[in-house]
Amino acid sequence: MKPVIHTHRLSKHYGTGGEIKAVDELDLEVYEGETFGLLGPNGAGKTTTVRLLNCIIKPTGGTATVNGYDILKEETEVKRVTGLLAESPGLYEKLSAYEFLEFMGALYDVPRDVLVERIDDLLKLFGLYDRRDYLLEGYSRGMKQRILIASALIHDPPLLFLDEPTSMLDPRAALMVKDLIKKLAESAGKTIFICSHILPVVEELCDRIGIINQGKLIALGTVDEIIAQTKTKTLEAAFIAITGGVEEKEFLAWREQKGANS
Amino acid sequence: MPIPKWLVVARNEYRVRINNIRKIRPYFPYLVTGLLVVYVVFIAPATVSLFIDDLLAFFLSRIAVAMVPILMVMIFFYLIMLPITYTLQGMQAGQVEIFLAAPIKPSDVLLGEFLGVIPFYAIAITVISGFFTAALNPLGLDVLQIAIIVIIFVVTFLSALWIGTVIAALVRTKFAKSARGRDIGKALSLVLALPMIAVMYAIVGGGLLKALDNPGTSGVVRAILSLLPSSWGAEVIVGFASNPGNIGAVGFETLTRFGGLVVFFVAVLWLGTKAANRAYSVEPTTFTASRAKSDGFFYRTVRYLGGGGSFGTLLVSVFKDYGRRLENLSRIAYVLGIIVMVNIFFVQGFTDPEGPLIVAQLLFPFLAVFIVGQVTVHGKEGLFIYKKTPYGVRRFVKAKLVQGWLVVVPVAVVITAVSLILVPQASLGSLLAYTVLIVLLVAANVALALGLALLNPQFSENARAQMAGLMINANIAVFASIGVFIGSMVVLDLGIPNTLLLQNAVIWLLGVTFLYFGNRRLSRIE
Repeated sequence: MKPVIHTHRLSKHYGTGGEIKAVDELDLEVYEGETFGLLGPNGAGKTTTVRLLNCIIKPTGGTATVNGYDILKEETEVKRVTGLLAESPGLYEKLSAYEFLEFMGALYDVPRDVLVERIDDLLKLFGLYDRRDYLLEGYSRGMKQRILIASALIHDPPLLFLDEPTSMLDPRAALMVKDLIKKLAESAGKTIFICSHILPVVEELCDRIGIINQGKLIALGTVDEIIAQTKTKTLEAAFIAITGGVEEKEFLAWREQKGANS
Repeated sequence: MPIPKWLVVARNEYRVRINNIRKIRPYFPYLVTGLLVVYVVFIAPATVSLFIDDLLAFFLSRIAVAMVPILMVMIFFYLIMLPITYTLQGMQAGQVEIFLAAPIKPSDVLLGEFLGVIPFYAIAITVISGFFTAALNPLGLDVLQIAIIVIIFVVTFLSALWIGTVIAALVRTKFAKSARGRDIGKALSLVLALPMIAVMYAIVGGGLLKALDNPGTSGVVRAILSLLPSSWGAEVIVGFASNPGNIGAVGFETLTRFGGLVVFFVAVLWLGTKAANRAYSVEPTTFTASRAKSDGFFYRTVRYLGGGGSFGTLLVSVFKDYGRRLENLSRIAYVLGIIVMVNIFFVQGFTDPEGPLIVAQLLFPFLAVFIVGQVTVHGKEGLFIYKKTPYGVRRFVKAKLVQGWLVVVPVAVVITAVSLILVPQASLGSLLAYTVLIVLLVAANVALALGLALLNPQFSENARAQMAGLMINANIAVFASIGVFIGSMVVLDLGIPNTLLLQNAVIWLLGVTFLYFGNRRLSRIE
């Protein structure tokens, strides 16, 4: 299989002496048509990895190619072949849904005749066609998330990065997005890179997963392989075993003080 | 008995304010009080006497006494407006969820937050009043009189700040409920400052103080002023100035007016809390659903001017985001208001074009900064949209530049043409030539203002930080313009047309340079 994403000792360090290692010598390959999940605790380096691979930030060490393009030398080409749903994306609240998608399409130079039809199709797909002219400031978080997913698809890129795609969605919308991801991978041949905390989503959608902690990739394989490696029974147990687990605590000790539970 | 909630909030607010001097927190009140006493009694008078000789100081002290009532009333109203302006600027729903979730009344939050910052307001007021008492020093006031004057300043201005805080809270409750309301609030925040600026301009350039010297005018004005609490303190100060070192001679007046002021402060504190109890709410935004209309003639023209393709769409999007925020339009109204007032109070009566053109030097860079100077306030996430897309940052900067030109240039054309038409000696030829030169200069100023904004991007949603950033950039742009103007007119003696040509060359060069570095800076932000 052809690797679409290839990283070699990719690093991003912050601080004067580079003491904060957001991503540390990451070696990773993601293959064409694959749905890959990157898991990790908060602050593990998932979003930084996605930003590096989308040329939003520059690495402090190592290299990477995306769809054959070097992230350091061929930024523009990388940006054209990727779509990104960011974790905390910016949104032009004073634009309507239609106007925002039109704006995003213009940023990716989608031809106007294609763009108009595509916006309508995406709005219909995400159930927002009736509200296309309402300003985004009045949208709920879930509706905004749907618009942002639509904006990541607006230029029909071969590679999609989805950072927490279902975290703000209600069950119905989450199911639709999961089905959409499956369809994009199976029928449209897209490569999808998902970052998520929601383990059942990753388990259901991803062909392979990687677990990252403190900037380092510490596990890689299919869900079954990772569960087998850790000798656990579920992905949740495997994840906790790999990332350090939780210490045993007296969870209700705080209620023992006088008057606290009255 | 549980601690009152307002006290909990006040203590928290106070701690937040002094978090960076945590080690000396227990001694902070004593330290500051001691320092302020030393400052008012020794440092401020010594500093003033260093720069002003005895005779001049005596005259200044007489002027200071004469100005007390008008000064007090102006600062009083300014301090009422200040919290309203800041609240409206930074109006965000959902910022007080921590209080919404706790069993606490909104009025306790309001009172607590105000009481928590009182010490810092008091310090600032004491520092300012210290200079005022130093100016009165040649009259021979004793320490008790000076102390009472400082307390008068503190009590009067704290009353004003509390009144402003309560009004701001009630206005916020009214406006923050909807996105449109928040927009209106932000728009009003700037325009509200215009009446105060009008009074200042009237004093400096409109002869207001002269008019007040006239017994006929001043009699009425003084009668009106005496009704305001700010004047009660002023009357005590005037009484002290007439009887320096002899507080007994005005003992009764001092007691009644000073006492009245203290009663007023306590009363407004109580009434403000009651008003906040009834009408202040910290509930988050209600549901809003504003609808966008389809593109009309204006946006179709903008799209056409942008080349019609992707860039045209981008330009229209940037324009819509700008135009639908009322605070942006209020900025234009604000600068236009200033320009009109400057023309009324300072320029009126000029017989050659120099006057209006000098005013243009001052105000058009200001206008440019106010219009394109806040390109990155919607946070880094907004910037990342552009960073993710091919040539995104470059196209964003280009769109902002063209949008700035499309807003500023028509305004500049109208103002310059109207100002010059009013000048009797300006011929049609010179009017056209000057208008073209000014338009080119304004376009250069937009480039400079945008470059400055990109070099020092404001990602903070904090209204004060945003305004501070704007004012720094405005000063740089204004000084660049004035510097070249003075250098050319005074040092090189080039005359107005050549000066405008030189200014165009220099500001364009600066604009292009700052834009280049600004673009680079924005591309490198992570």
